[in-house]
Amino acid sequence: MSETLMLSYGAAIREALDDGLNRYPDMLLIGEGVPDPKTIFATTQGLREKYGAERVLDMPLAENGMTGICIGAALAGMRPVLVHQRIDFALLAMDQLVNNAAKWHYMFDGKQSVPLVVRVIIGRGWGQGPQHSQSLQAMFAQVPGLKVVMPTTAGDAYHFLLDAIADDGPVLFVEHRWLHHVIGEVDKQRPAAGLRGAAVLRAGRDISIAAFSHMSIEALKAATVLAEHGIEAEVIDMRCLTPLDVDSVAGSAAKTGLLLVADCAPEMASLGHVLISRLYQRQPNTLKQAPCLVAYPNHPVPTTHFQANHYYPGAERIAEAALELLAQRPLMDTLHRQLQSDLAKDQPDRSFVGPF
Amino acid sequence: MNSLNSAELLDLYQRMLRIRRIEEAIAERYAEQQMRCPTHLCIGEEAIAVGVCAHLTDSDKVFSNHRGHGHYLAKGGSLVGLIAELYGFAEGCCGGRGGSMHLSDLSAGFIASTPIVGGTVPVAAGYAWGEQRRNSKNVVVIFFGDGCFEEGVLHETMNFAVLKQLPLVMVCENNQYSVMTPLYERQPARDIYPIAAAHGLQAVSGDGNKVEQVYALAENAIAAARNGAGPQFLELHTHRWPEHCGPNEDDELGYRFPGELLAWKQRCPLLHTGRTLAEAGVAAEALLDIEQRIGAEIAEAFARALAGQPPELADMERHLYV
Repeated sequence: MSETLMLSYGAAIREALDDGLNRYPDMLLIGEGVPDPKTIFATTQGLREKYGAERVLDMPLAENGMTGICIGAALAGMRPVLVHQRIDFALLAMDQLVNNAAKWHYMFDGKQSVPLVVRVIIGRGWGQGPQHSQSLQAMFAQVPGLKVVMPTTAGDAYHFLLDAIADDGPVLFVEHRWLHHVIGEVDKQRPAAGLRGAAVLRAGRDISIAAFSHMSIEALKAATVLAEHGIEAEVIDMRCLTPLDVDSVAGSAAKTGLLLVADCAPEMASLGHVLISRLYQRQPNTLKQAPCLVAYPNHPVPTTHFQANHYYPGAERIAEAALELLAQRPLMDTLHRQLQSDLAKDQPDRSFVGPF
Repeated sequence: MNSLNSAELLDLYQRMLRIRRIEEAIAERYAEQQMRCPTHLCIGEEAIAVGVCAHLTDSDKVFSNHRGHGHYLAKGGSLVGLIAELYGFAEGCCGGRGGSMHLSDLSAGFIASTPIVGGTVPVAAGYAWGEQRRNSKNVVVIFFGDGCFEEGVLHETMNFAVLKQLPLVMVCENNQYSVMTPLYERQPARDIYPIAAAHGLQAVSGDGNKVEQVYALAENAIAAARNGAGPQFLELHTHRWPEHCGPNEDDELGYRFPGELLAWKQRCPLLHTGRTLAEAGVAAEALLDIEQRIGAEIAEAFARALAGQPPELADMERHLYV
């Protein structure tokens, strides 16, 4: 029996938490705001009422301590899901995440494991400023033993979260706040992806665009407009950061000969750089031109929307970079007009809600 | 002292002496450079590990820190597994991946020790939370030092442990030094345990070099934690004789007050207990007999551990992910 739902990404997360709590009696859902009236952007709504305050609970403001406590509970057989409304707060828990969660299985010779999920939310815009909008996923992906996933579609959000809960190791589940309203298909019967591998969101022959999280949406927007001009871009969603699926990108780049990487993080030491580096080391001769990276600048985002509006690259920048690689500069003005949003860059663009 | 009879005290003496002799044997062989991992010995502090662990069942759990040999052995951790781990052999309790600062013997209920100060404190509390959720009668004990009391994560843990009334016993081994920095350079002049009490734990302090005192305090604390009275805190005063890390003594460095080490050696837990046993009429031959049995056990353990194999190089990447 196939059961395909149309859900927003945020609702898909809630659905996965609901199904997880139902499926795993040892699952705990904990985090600052989990049961409060806002319920983490409604992703935990109604779950305390359904599963009780012992399993769905708020926590003291003690990010490191509570991460360690969740690690201990996981060692004792629980399956905790810990939520941070901003990834910035997870920095307070770096010791426990890096020194304990990521290494426990390895340093104790595989005899113990830590089935812990840490949900962290990245995002942009709306005055979140330097300490509420960082995109630090590369820092975490650098830690051996920590699985880092960054799903883009509602379907992946649902399945990756359930897979992460089922996983016996620690998984960092990175959500982009602006994806929460994007609607997509959730086929509950879909086989598990195993928390690995990229996904081709749109097939194309002319240029490969490998994108991370919300930048996949921006890339799809750019690809839609490029297609109106006869340019078919292949959009690959880099939904798992560890391991990074270089094979899928290599296959696509070998076909198109052009690679554009769009990352939603500061350029410095980004996953985008890792991807380009690994691809180039593997097959330096398949690319007709040097690859291009579109990413955030290496400075904090200012809170003021007057400046923040110029911080984030979006579909326009991706389209421009694609036209550069394709030596199609004359089209730039046209595409720019077509992709121009009446919204500022710090406001979520709801014109492209899926499904896809 | 209250409930301990001579036979029971002799048993505690034997357990302390075993740890002392094992640590001495490690120190003696350490210069051979075959045990190549930082090793923090607990000579002088044996009474705390023994007096606390004497009340624990096999299914109770213990967590520890960088100075964990005594806790591991007192909880029943495999001696051969410890020695082999120090030598880096595959037969080590962590397959050689951990060394002295990462010990584990799940069959003995010794879950883990790690060297980031404070690192295992919340993990122990989380384990206790898991035990509580399962309605087990198990108690979790976490050992840490006075330096750890300065870590924020310890206070975060105390807050949650009291909030959830966890079956957790926190044992602070106050040996006055963090590496070579004395307590008075790190903390104001006040006791540690009242701060735990202010968090809402039941907290007491005592002489960590008198095993019968540790035994009595731990008996109450462990029984209370087991019976749902919430987390317990013991501040036990003691002193480590060897250098912070390594096989030697380092009194020549002058970071202690002159005569301080000597004064603590006169308060040796073994000396104290041996004297009590003699006063109670336990014959010197009985103690000698214990010495001999321990010596034979250690010799055999080293021989068995040294017959171990280096881990496979191909295993270096194993166990990264589950």
